[in-house]
Amino acid sequence: MTEEYDVEFVETGDRKARFLVRGVTPAFANGLRRAMVADVPTMAIDEVRFIENSSVMFDEQLALRLGLVPLTTPPEGEFVDGDTVTLSIDVEGPGTAYSGDLVSSDSLVQPAEDNVPIIDLKDDQRLEAEADALIERGKDHAKHQGGVAVGYRHLQRVEVEGDLPEFEDERSQIVRGVIEDDGELVPTSEFDDDLSNRYPGKEVSVEDVPNAFVFHVETDGSFTVDELVTRAVESLEARATELEEAVQL
Amino acid sequence: MSYKCSRCKRDVQLDEYGGVRCPYCGHRVLLKERSRDVKEVDAH
Amino acid sequence: MMVPVRCFTCGNVVAEHWEEFDERANDGDEDPEAVLDELGVERYCCRRMLVSHRDLVDVVSPYQ
Repeated sequence: MTEEYDVEFVETGDRKARFLVRGVTPAFANGLRRAMVADVPTMAIDEVRFIENSSVMFDEQLALRLGLVPLTTPPEGEFVDGDTVTLSIDVEGPGTAYSGDLVSSDSLVQPAEDNVPIIDLKDDQRLEAEADALIERGKDHAKHQGGVAVGYRHLQRVEVEGDLPEFEDERSQIVRGVIEDDGELVPTSEFDDDLSNRYPGKEVSVEDVPNAFVFHVETDGSFTVDELVTRAVESLEARATELEEAVQL
Repeated sequence: MSYKCSRCKRDVQLDEYGGVRCPYCGHRVLLKERSRDVKEVDAH
Repeated sequence: MMVPVRCFTCGNVVAEHWEEFDERANDGDEDPEAVLDELGVERYCCRRMLVSHRDLVDVVSPYQ
């Protein structure tokens, strides 16, 4: 891109963030969103070997549940496509088997969440299984999707046009996302998504700011938001380079 | 084949001629035991 | 039977909140809306996962 771009954070956290990107085309913004959802590889359990399962659920049901547990994804370069990590679980009832009971063979790949109940075990019931986790992309299976509820909206500029006519009733004007008011970024949740709360008695106009997008990104715990976004950008760049090389005369 | 009688909970071995019946209590409902093999399942 | 691990719609992990939600909103007398807000389950797709769930393990276990 020739145009200058700029990133500004509205809300930051480990697993959830909102940031504004200026100076990118809608196509690029959507490309980034799609890369975050489908193109960043994460670890997830893919095959389970059941040694004993006397619980009330079938092996296949438990395998699906184990597959959906988010696992921490190792730094880039540690694993390549097709590498596996073995995790084992051995829980005897009465009690509940949790994702935290999974014992990993690699300290880099651990359950990201320890409190996910896998199955409730009654007296004399037992679950013993071994699982292989592998690194794949969100487009292969949703369990490999690191980004959750990833989306963007246009940044909206609000301008005060003047006062409302004297006898006119105040009407609510709902706007969702982030607004720009004299260069200041304000999430609409601050005024209950209603512009009439922020500008009582005023007539305001709202318009999209061209090429400015507010991204909302959450992760399932596989990695931080920072990492998800950087890896998504890297995957976009790698694909663009590949295309450039492929079409060269 | 190993089965378990659903009434007296004892292990039952079925042969060709005995028919489906528990030799200890005569109950006709038998439950098939899970095999001891390791079962491999895809987590899809 | 057991709570779904993730939200069907958005893929957010919701099962980790089930036990606390069940204890406080179903067994206790707290307002489910307030409990969900406190647990950080924001979207309505994730909220319905917990609100509409019924544990069935205790119901089926006698028939093992």
